[in-house]
This record gives sequence, C-alpha cells and structure tokens, in this order.
Amino acid sequence: MSTTIKIRNLNQYYGKKQALKNVNLTIETGMFGLLGRNGAGKTTLMKVLATLLPKSEGEVTVCGTNVSRAQEVRKNTGYLPQEFSMYPNMTVYEAMDYLGVLSGLSKSERKQRIPKLLERVNLLENRRKKVKALSGGMKRRLGIAQAILHDPKVLIVDEPTAGLDPEERVRFRNLLCEIAEDRIVILSTHIVGDIEATCENIAVLDEGEIIYKGTVSELTGMAEGKVFQAEISKRELETLKKQCVVTSMLTLGNNVMVRFLSDEKPFASAKPCEAGVEDAYMYLMQERGGGDGCLDNYL
Amino acid sequence: MFGQLFIKECRQTAKSLIYWLIVLVLIFNFATQLGNMDIMQKPKEGQEDYGYKQSDDKNMIMRTTLGQLLEEYYRESYSTYPIGFYKSVTLNDKEDKQIEEIIKETTGLSGRTETRKAIEKWYAAQPKETNAEGALVLRKSMEAEPVEGLTFERFEELMDEADHILGGGSGYEEVSRKSASVPMTYEDAVEEYRKLTEKDRLTGGYARLFSDYMVIFLGLLPVFLAVTRELRDKRAGMQDLIYTRKGSSVNIIASRYLSMLIMLVLPVLALSVIPLSQCLRYASASGISADIWAYVKYIFGWLLPTIMTATAVGMFFTELTDTALAVLIQGAWWFVAVFTGISTLKGGIYGWSLIPRHNTELNWTGFHDNFSQLASNRIVYASISIILVAFTAFIYNQKRKGRYTVSWKGFGRLKK
Repeated sequence: MSTTIKIRNLNQYYGKKQALKNVNLTIETGMFGLLGRNGAGKTTLMKVLATLLPKSEGEVTVCGTNVSRAQEVRKNTGYLPQEFSMYPNMTVYEAMDYLGVLSGLSKSERKQRIPKLLERVNLLENRRKKVKALSGGMKRRLGIAQAILHDPKVLIVDEPTAGLDPEERVRFRNLLCEIAEDRIVILSTHIVGDIEATCENIAVLDEGEIIYKGTVSELTGMAEGKVFQAEISKRELETLKKQCVVTSMLTLGNNVMVRFLSDEKPFASAKPCEAGVEDAYMYLMQERGGGDGCLDNYL
Repeated sequence: MFGQLFIKECRQTAKSLIYWLIVLVLIFNFATQLGNMDIMQKPKEGQEDYGYKQSDDKNMIMRTTLGQLLEEYYRESYSTYPIGFYKSVTLNDKEDKQIEEIIKETTGLSGRTETRKAIEKWYAAQPKETNAEGALVLRKSMEAEPVEGLTFERFEELMDEADHILGGGSGYEEVSRKSASVPMTYEDAVEEYRKLTEKDRLTGGYARLFSDYMVIFLGLLPVFLAVTRELRDKRAGMQDLIYTRKGSSVNIIASRYLSMLIMLVLPVLALSVIPLSQCLRYASASGISADIWAYVKYIFGWLLPTIMTATAVGMFFTELTDTALAVLIQGAWWFVAVFTGISTLKGGIYGWSLIPRHNTELNWTGFHDNFSQLASNRIVYASISIILVAFTAFIYNQKRKGRYTVSWKGFGRLKK
C-alpha cells in the first residue's frame, strides 16, 4: 500500500458557494504544508481528507483508498482538528484509552502504546491529570498523541499552533517533524513561520484554489531579487506603502527600517536582500492581487 | 471492541452527575412509596374490612356508576381529570338539564328532590359503623338501581354523553366503566389471598406493585441520561476526534445504549432486594413457596421496555437535533401516559400505555387475563426503541461523514 494522497479535480461546495476549486495535489511521505489565509479552504480540504466531509466532485484517495470508503480511510488517518478538546473529567490516560478502544486497539496494544506516546509528547508525568487541568500546549500535545495512537500512515493537523506561546510552538513543530519521518503529516496553517520551520513541500490555497505547489525553496526563489530593505522616514513610509508591499518594519527613532517587495530597486538607498518564505508568500499573494500591503494578517 | 467500549461507557455513566441524581430520585420514590410496605396477612373471618376488588359485573358497574352520577348531580359538582389533573366541573342550566334527562332515563328519578330522597334512602339502609375516633363510617359507596329494561349498551351511550357534557375525564368515560370497585367479602378476600400466595407465589404480586411505582419515574428519567450522554461529545469538543475513529457507528451507539440500560436497571435491581427480602421472610414464616426470581422477571419484562423507550427517544432526538428537545418530547409523552393511567390504576387494563399501571399486589386475575395485552405492549415498545436506536446509529453515521448537519435555519439536512 502506497503512502500517498492523490487529489484530482476536487471541487467542494457549500450550497451555492464553492469552497474548493479544481484542486489537484499529490502528497508523499514527510511534512506537507498547506498555507493560506483564514477562509481560504484549508479546513475544508482537511475535512475531506479526514472523511468528515463528503467530496462534491473529483477523486481523492488516501493510501490508495477512495475517501468515500470512510471506515477504510480512517484506519490510515489520524486527525487533529483546529478546535478540539476531550472529556474534561477524564484523565489524560483515560482519554487516550477511550479513543484507543474506538480505534480498535486491543487492551494489550493500548497498554503498550499509550505510555510510549505520552512520553513522546512529554505528558507521561501528567497521565493522571484531568484533561480540564491541562494547559493549551499540553492539550495540543495530547491531541497529537491521540491522533497517532493507532499508528496512522497519514496525520492531518489543522492550525495546530494557534494560541500557543513561542516555546510551545517550537516544541510542537519539532514534534511534528519527528512524527513525519515515516508518514505523511499535512500541516494546515495561516502562520508562515510554522511552514518555514517544518515543511519542504507546500501548497498555497487562496479562495479555494491552489495558487502554488512545490518546494519552499522554489517558492522563495520566486521572490528572489524582489526583496529590498531601507531606512526611511515615517513620512516616506506612507508613500512606500502605497507603491509596494511592506513585509516588515522596525521603528528606529524618527525613521523606520522597512523590508518590502518591488520588481526593481525603487530608490538609491534601497538594498536588495535574500528572500524569505514570508516575502515569497506575500509576493505570491500580491501577484494574485489578494495582498493588502501588510503582512500582519498572515502572522 | 464492543465489549471494551461498553465497559468504558458504563464507567462514564457511573461518573456522571445526572446518573446519580436519577438514582437518588429512584431511592426517594422507593422510600416514600414502598418504604413501609405491609405484606397482606391471611384474612380472618369477622374482620372489619377486606378491602375492595374490581368487578366486571355489568349490573354492578351500572349500579356504582349511576350512584356516583346521582351524588355528583345532587351536589352540582363533578370531579373530572381531563388531562390527569383534578378539575371540579359545575354545569350551566342547559347542561344540568341534559344530565337530569340522563338520570331520568337510567334511574327513573326526576329532578333534585327525587334524587336527594333516593340518596337519603340508600344511605339510611346501609349498616353504620364508627371508627376509632367515634366518627360514623360507611363502608360502601352510593349505588343506584338502573330502571328495568335498561340495556348495558344504552347505559354506555348515555354515560358517554354525560362524559362529553362534563368535558371528558369524568368517572363516566369508557375506561372508568370497565370495572367497578366493590367491597370484598371474606370469601373474596380469601380467594385473593390464595391467588397472591399460590398463583403469584407472593413475590409476583409485590413485584408488580414495585414495578407500578418504579415505572412512573423510569418513563421519564432515562431521557435525561441519554440526552446528556449524546450532548457530551459536542460540549467537550470531542466530536471530530470520535468521528474520525475506525469504530463503527453501530458499535458506538449500541454500546452507549446498552450501557445506559444496564446502569439504569442496576439501581432498580438493587432496590428490589428490599421488598424481595421482606416477601421471602414472610413466605418462609407462612410456609409459602415464593418465587425468588419474580422481581427480576418483572424488572426485565415490565420496566425494561419503558427504560429502553425513554433512553432511545433521548438518543434519537438528541442526535437528530443536537439539542435537548428529547426532554420536551419525552416529558409530554410521560405526562399524558401518567395521567391517563390514573383511570387504570388497579391493573388489568394495560392498553398501549408507555407506563402500564397495576397499583395493587392483588388482582392476579386482571393481570393473568390481560397478560397477552401487556406482553404485546412491552414487545411493541422494546421494538420501537430498537428501531429508534437503529435510526440513531444511521444519523450518527451520516454526521460522521458530514452528510447530515444540523443547522437551525433549515433544521437537519441530509446530503447525498
């Protein structure tokens, strides 16, 4: 059985509204990032893959099984939704054990796997703690542990780092990378930093359409030679914003150090610099005509 | 998988607050209604009172029903239970005249003066007794002699008319006329005692009485447990985690259902040990061969279908609507069943009520003669509940696949 996800001509509708438009993707083992602003259709695509939504049109197979055969697909997939919790009065171990039974694991399998997984997500010492007493980061880690409890070939993770503090976010990204060694991990997010830190292959969704698919380095390559940096006055900043997409800025007294996108050097003091994923993403959105000139919405 | 899931569901139920509240209500109901249960002693000749029995003697039914009508007509006040609650009815002149006509046709008495005389004459002829406080006690309710030639069919028609005039729920409606309460003689009492100890082997009769008290609450309380269980996933934000598991919807729903049934039956079984031990002590002292399994038989045969139905209604409507609507639906059903059951308290008339009543340890004959009616009732409810659970599993499965969503703008929608 191949560890591949194939999506061909996928269209998804909510009534008259089209949430996904002719999506075509092939995803192989490893981390795969799905990037896009809020409402781009990422969660819809994740739900189709997790068999929580029936596809409207197209062909979707997970490890060779059509998603319409939900029960078969569920054997091979683990899912961590954007919004989730567990029975608050259950302990961490009880919650895992309950979901293990629902995954069809035998008592001995659960006894063997749960402590190992809890150790892997650094929750073993909290196994007797009630779910309601866990912090946001702990809950997310428990979410990952439950999602890989039955050792799925595909792990679908929807906006996992939202609301986490920087330390937890880094820890969580590392955990995902470890897990992705021998399976597909699809990370859906609107946070460019998460993708930059973890994924080699990505796709960018906008208004239901895939506007980019390829490697992260190819994406950054698109913005190469188009990223500049300059120290300008605050008055000049307003003019610059009207002409270019500003990807970052740092106030320095009465001046501002700005990083921006431009097809050619706009003024003498502007210095070309190496493009990052954020720059490339903003460039992509600008090219599509969807950028609003500020990166704040994507961070 | 089913067995392990079932055990996990039982544990969840055992940890839920609503479950223990239900247990407390059942204990309270038992303690107040059956806490001081007296076992019927063997009747002795010359006893003051042997109680009442139900009679299907048509003449007796006519006499007692007409007696009641005369008294209520004379008082110008009628007791009715239109939706179960007591209501005193006073008639207008036109309606009063219509009742007067009915009385004239059935008893030959015309107007209040003749009615008063008939009542006084009847009571004057009754043997008078005084109770411990010295008050005068009459052991027999008013009876009136029907006019010669009055057929039971005509009597029924006229009583239906009277019930209609009174707005329904009166002592003259069809179900109330099917039997009449008449005082038992010594021989009657001995015969009832013989049936209780020989046919019912003592425990049978008391198990029925126990079931009668318990079935009232078990027709409603399980719905709360089912609704909270089905809403728990949504409240805990756990729906998607469960939906994406390999386990089948049938296994998930069936294990929840079965666990709730078992957990609800357990306290009832535990409570039944108290009256059972009382019965066994009495049986042992009196040389009666008691049926030790009687309570278990009645709990599973009489109470379980009601528990099954209330639980299934809770699960079905909660999955269908993602709300606690089932409480309202079951509450309304329970209300109607309990209060219409008031007229069939003495047992023997089980019909299709969700809450069949038999509020006496006696009346084995009524139970025996209508056993097939009761059995059909229980089988139908058990079947309905299994069908509802099957539909619940279907809806649950559609929700897991995103094919059924509940949005209150357009209620639940099933996608292709």
